Amino acid sequence: MNTNSLLESYLVPPNIWDEMFTNEGIRDSYKNFVSAIADLPPAEMTHKAEMAKKLFMSQGITFTVYSSGEGIEKIFPFDIIPRIITGKEWTLIEAGLKQRLKALNIFLKDIYHKQFILHDGIMPSHFIYSCPNFLREMMNVDVPFDIYTHVSGVDLIRDHDGKFYVLEDNLRTPSGVSYMLENRSITFRIFPDLLPKNNVRSVKEYPDLLYKNLLALGNRQRSNPTVILLSPGIYNSAYFEHTTLARLMGIELVEGRDLIVNNNFVYMKTTKGLQQVDVIYRRVDDDFIDPLVFRPDSILGVSGLYWAYRKGNVAIVNAMGNGVADDKAIYTYVPDMIRYYLNEEPILKNIPTYRLADEDSKQYVFENIRNMVVKRTNESGGYGMLMGNTASDEEIEDFKNAINADPRNFIAQHIISLSSTPCYINGILQPRRVDLRPFAIYGPEGINIVPGGLTRVALKEGSMIVNSSQGGGSKDTWVLV
Amino acid sequence: MLSRVANTIYWLGRYMERTNGMLQVILTQYISSQDDINDFTWEPLLKIYGELSEEEINQIKGSSPKALEYMIFNTENSASAYNNIIYSRENARGIQDHISKEVWQCLNDFYHFIRDSNRIKVENLADPVSAIDQLIRNGVLFTGTVDNTMIRGEGFTFINIGKFLERAIHTADTTRIKMNEFFKDNADAFHSMNLRYLLNSLFGFEVYLKTYKGNFTKKNVLDLVLYNPNFPHSILYSIERLYKYFCRLRPESLPENYEHMEFLIGKTMNNVKYSIANENDSKSLDSFLFQTRFDLFEISNAFNKYYFGNS
Repeated sequence: MNTNSLLESYLVPPNIWDEMFTNEGIRDSYKNFVSAIADLPPAEMTHKAEMAKKLFMSQGITFTVYSSGEGIEKIFPFDIIPRIITGKEWTLIEAGLKQRLKALNIFLKDIYHKQFILHDGIMPSHFIYSCPNFLREMMNVDVPFDIYTHVSGVDLIRDHDGKFYVLEDNLRTPSGVSYMLENRSITFRIFPDLLPKNNVRSVKEYPDLLYKNLLALGNRQRSNPTVILLSPGIYNSAYFEHTTLARLMGIELVEGRDLIVNNNFVYMKTTKGLQQVDVIYRRVDDDFIDPLVFRPDSILGVSGLYWAYRKGNVAIVNAMGNGVADDKAIYTYVPDMIRYYLNEEPILKNIPTYRLADEDSKQYVFENIRNMVVKRTNESGGYGMLMGNTASDEEIEDFKNAINADPRNFIAQHIISLSSTPCYINGILQPRRVDLRPFAIYGPEGINIVPGGLTRVALKEGSMIVNSSQGGGSKDTWVLV
Repeated sequence: MLSRVANTIYWLGRYMERTNGMLQVILTQYISSQDDINDFTWEPLLKIYGELSEEEINQIKGSSPKALEYMIFNTENSASAYNNIIYSRENARGIQDHISKEVWQCLNDFYHFIRDSNRIKVENLADPVSAIDQLIRNGVLFTGTVDNTMIRGEGFTFINIGKFLERAIHTADTTRIKMNEFFKDNADAFHSMNLRYLLNSLFGFEVYLKTYKGNFTKKNVLDLVLYNPNFPHSILYSIERLYKYFCRLRPESLPENYEHMEFLIGKTMNNVKYSIANENDSKSLDSFLFQTRFDLFEISNAFNKYYFGNS
């Protein structure tokens, strides 16, 4: 059916959902796009891929790896073939995410106040108190509008049956949204006219939405609140994202050393003296945000910020202490939370997960470890995990010992065959595994999710780890009308 | 504007101006080295734009390719043009939201250009003039991009304050060095190459010819580089521009800080404006230039204290 060599060479992997192809041919959602590239000579496709790389480099959409004192510029690899999601699929994702985030937000309010969910026995309390990201300092702190998860990114994957599942929730300082925006701006340069012809929904309103919601939080303080973005600084790998968001929102990008707390109010040091700050969109982790309360050796945060927050003199986005809700062990309880708090069935399912603190589950996982992926509950970025099908006997033994020593710290899941999508690699289309991270903004007027997100792709052949730190790249994500 | 941002953007202006200035001096020196039938040495410039010991300087002072490589491309030399661009870009990275996207991309391109050192090194060996010219063109492009794309706000003001302060210091330094060499040579003004190299180093040779019609005198040269209000590299022009940009900060300043700075800049500007440089007295000329340089550093320190919060 495919007369083009670019498509002919593509082998759809067996027992895996391919985003572009079925056994019968190309999916309807991709037909327009494929017909536009089908006639392109290979040299032109390669030229487009090269051009995309150069654009990322020349626009400084890079992160710097510092080794032996000298910075090396790297780009987050970008594959030029977009990942396409139909309008119908998106409606389901959107509804599922809103439901999930609503429940998680109520959970955070509950767990830091009355803890009904523990009293009613939905979740054992030792899971909460043993979670390193549960902050006792947040107990009974009233956060503005009872919103904790202002900005979140939920990682979704698609199994062989084509259904979306939630892989994990990122409720602290999820990053990647700038790549969603930049990937789109590169796509319209290398594929002129394709976006409007395919009726792709726009993602560019994200910064406006975010700013509107940040402003709304400041209304408690003043009619014209000062909103800032707090970054750890240029050595942070997500620094490009911080500058992009600050610029697109027109707000000041500050570092901890630019801020000072006086009499429980936060000020920034300007050329005209001190100026009060009302809303802080922080991209600094909880541990580092206030050396007087959390890590005393932190130089990224601001002394006294916690008390200014607690007294309601400044709004901080996201709230502190959200880590308790995106802990991988707590993740297993999210469907129960949805039923408990909302009295609804979860629209987006979790991946079946075994808590290794449970003796029977641990036994089962040990017996079937070759078919399992084991993860540490408090790590991310593709670190601290064991892929049973590829691990050596020694690695498995090490993990078993670690699990026996502290079973609360581990969960296990059957290895899910992430969906594949064509990537343009070495002049031909090759299948690679992908996930999807849509970004949601939770404000006083509700939850907004821009139609799109970051599609992360495992660029190594056969790999299922999509994290950028582990050889992953990204794609533009098209949501069709 | 945040004090840190003001400081960073001010230094961005200084680094870029310093790079342009040093490249022009090096270019002029290279061209002059090809004119010189006597033993030519890179020693004076290696001392200014490097950190080598006497022994190390002796090893490379007679070799143009080695000296150029060290002063322009060497990654270990913190005063090299290469490192100036690295610092500029690091600064720009830290304040991306205060410069235009075009300025950032222009500087980023310059950075990638100078980092592509293999290609440039080959060009440097083949034709150093072209290699340095390309770098200067990148610097000029940066200046033009700033002028054409940046909003006339505090960021633009601080980048220009840094630029003109650095330029005034550079002109004072270069004039002092070249005039000392001139007096040492004991040559008459018309035949002295040092005066011509001074003009070339400050982008002023053609301006001089057009202004004075080839009438080569010490007085005219000093008039141009010290006092000419229309020559963009003269000390007076640079300080007047510095003053003009500083005045724009008034609404954004604490009154007492503004008054202190205005006094310092005004005093330095008038000290230059109402001075008469004695072109025949090397000592008094040297002391005037040294004092001007000192005053300019005072201004720099005062900005640090009153605007950048580094008291």
